Amino acid sequence: MKAPRSSMGSLLAAPAVLYMVVFFVVPSLILFVYSFWTAASYKIVPDFVFSNYLNSLMSPLFWTVTINAILIGLVTASITLVLAIPVGYYLVYVSRSQVILYLILITWFSSYLVRIYAWRTLLGTSGVLNTILLQAGIVDTPVGVFLFSRFAVAITLIHIYLPFCILLVVSSLSEIKKDLVDAARDLGASPLGAFFRIIAPNAANGLVGAFMLTFVMVAGDYVTPQMLGGSSGQTTGLLIADQFRKTGNWPLGAAQAFLMFLVSIALYFAVKGLGRATGLIVKRRPAKKVGA
Amino acid sequence: MTIRPPVIEITAAQKMFGSFQALSDICLSIEQGEIVTLLGPSGCGKTTLMRLIAGFETVTAGTVKIDGKDCADQPPERRPVNMVFQRYALFPHLDVFENVAFGLKVKGTPKAEIRERVQRMLHIVQLDSFANRYINELSGGQSQRVALARALVNGPKVLLLDEPLAALDLKIRQHMLVEMKRIHAETGATFVYVTHDQDEAMILSDRVVLMEKGRIVQVDRPEIMYAAPRSLFAAKFLGETNLFEATMASDDASGMTAVIASGLRFHSSVVPAGELRGKVIVSIRPESFRFARDNDTTQSATGQVEDVIFIGSRSFYTICLAGGFRVRVQIQRSTRTSLPKSGEKAEIFWDSENVVILPEA
Ligand SMILES: Nc1ncnc2c1ncn2[C@@H]1O[C@H](COP(=O)(O)OP(=O)(O)O)[C@@H](O)[C@H]1O
Ligand SMILES: [Mg+2]
Repeated sequence: MKAPRSSMGSLLAAPAVLYMVVFFVVPSLILFVYSFWTAASYKIVPDFVFSNYLNSLMSPLFWTVTINAILIGLVTASITLVLAIPVGYYLVYVSRSQVILYLILITWFSSYLVRIYAWRTLLGTSGVLNTILLQAGIVDTPVGVFLFSRFAVAITLIHIYLPFCILLVVSSLSEIKKDLVDAARDLGASPLGAFFRIIAPNAANGLVGAFMLTFVMVAGDYVTPQMLGGSSGQTTGLLIADQFRKTGNWPLGAAQAFLMFLVSIALYFAVKGLGRATGLIVKRRPAKKVGA
Repeated sequence: MTIRPPVIEITAAQKMFGSFQALSDICLSIEQGEIVTLLGPSGCGKTTLMRLIAGFETVTAGTVKIDGKDCADQPPERRPVNMVFQRYALFPHLDVFENVAFGLKVKGTPKAEIRERVQRMLHIVQLDSFANRYINELSGGQSQRVALARALVNGPKVLLLDEPLAALDLKIRQHMLVEMKRIHAETGATFVYVTHDQDEAMILSDRVVLMEKGRIVQVDRPEIMYAAPRSLFAAKFLGETNLFEATMASDDASGMTAVIASGLRFHSSVVPAGELRGKVIVSIRPESFRFARDNDTTQSATGQVEDVIFIGSRSFYTICLAGGFRVRVQIQRSTRTSLPKSGEKAEIFWDSENVVILPEA
């Protein structure tokens, strides 16, 4: 019984595996190979050098933008997740309406650039935010740092990636039955208590996943930093993109992309470790078969 | 005898979901220590009524009082009742001990007391050696016991059970019913038990609350509800019965008589729910019939045996009376009397206390 079933399983998984290989593994391997090549006058030459990695690691610019990207990423992903959780909770346990979820997702259809420009309008020196602050008498002169700053980058990225994060949160909460929340309430837990004692531990993997995916998307975004970041809001994503677009140094860009990849993985384990240490993530026992 | 308020008192409660009326005109009071079952077909509002008591839903109109206090604005966590969920809803990331300890822990009970109370409760549900098992290592019956223990350990005024045995197979279900009675006796808690299974309701309850389409149609002790259903719905829902369309013939001090189309008269001494006239329904349970006369008040009819089904302790007969009226008869096995065979003529006898005359639906 066992053997045919598992071979059937691998057969069914084949399209997904093939897809991953063609669209993820192969391009990644090509990029990985590139990262050991060299670039000379806009041409890339096959080689096997570590200089792309070493130069990046020793470049203060690389570290400045990477730390900046990590900071923006962490702050943005945290805020996004904190905003997405109550929305996801509402969608999954209170309204149970698909329509609202679709409406939220539809905002993703509006152009990315339009939304960036919208924020430029809102945050600029003659923008809505400054106008309100001036009229309310909170400031005397328009505040310049709203635009072209980490703040501008963060708020725009939150706006752009929130629907995505909500989708991830909804999918991870959907696996936790409403009954469990009700049972916790019935046994004396407040709504917040039920979240921390029941939902968080059971959805931990999904929520960490949502956080990390949002982090990766945010930290890798290079359009928003470019348009709103000014000099203080530059990120690794932008640096890497420039290696490909402007400098034409693909090997260096590839190496930096892999460094960023390593940083993300390290962060993933750090976040999980933090979750374990604070007791929010509990290791689940694997399911065992039982008799009556 | 001291008079105390009922543990639960629901007055004129209504529940609307949008424009759908899930519960109408619910009045029910439950006394300390009772086992009351909410019985009715799926979708009749049993779970909704239970969730109103637990605090997961709020009444659209009317009041729910627990222990004499209106609890309209008390969320579930502040009500002195606990619930056993149909699918148990055990916490998968906690072991058996931690599941049972959950309620006490949330309330900040001292560790030593938690340990003691949880262990006592695990002993009552006979899971002493399972404290460190994880939930996915339990069978259905064991999960059920954990769910019971997790609720009961908090010493609720009322334990609410929503079809707790529905997910178990027959053998375990029968065993758990006996267990449930023992646990009830041992803890002295008040049980409100939801089920759509009439047998469960009969076995367990002090009182059965029969529901239909969001309304309570009858509240009685199970044996009374079985013997004297007050509506066609009640007669059909509890146990098997023979039903005949009939017309009221007379109504006097000795009881009522109704006559069916073939001219056969049924005399009833069961007090009816209300005044009956015109078209009515006569209900007689299959086990009310005999093949021998044993006193003078006995009524009788003759017919032809069409079919006999023998199932050990009992036999089921289908007998065709004059006018084509078919009667299902259940006879207890006996070595003394000889029983008619298929195709033979037979005379059946019954007493007026087994005849129930009901209003037409
Ligand atoms: N949250 C809800 N929203 C809308 N309708 C509901 C809701 N809960 C229950 N109902 C409806 O109320 C009726 C009674 O449901 P329920 O109390 O679960 O019945 P039972 O437990 O007797 O099977 C059903 O028709 C059901 O569809
Ligand atoms: Mg139900």
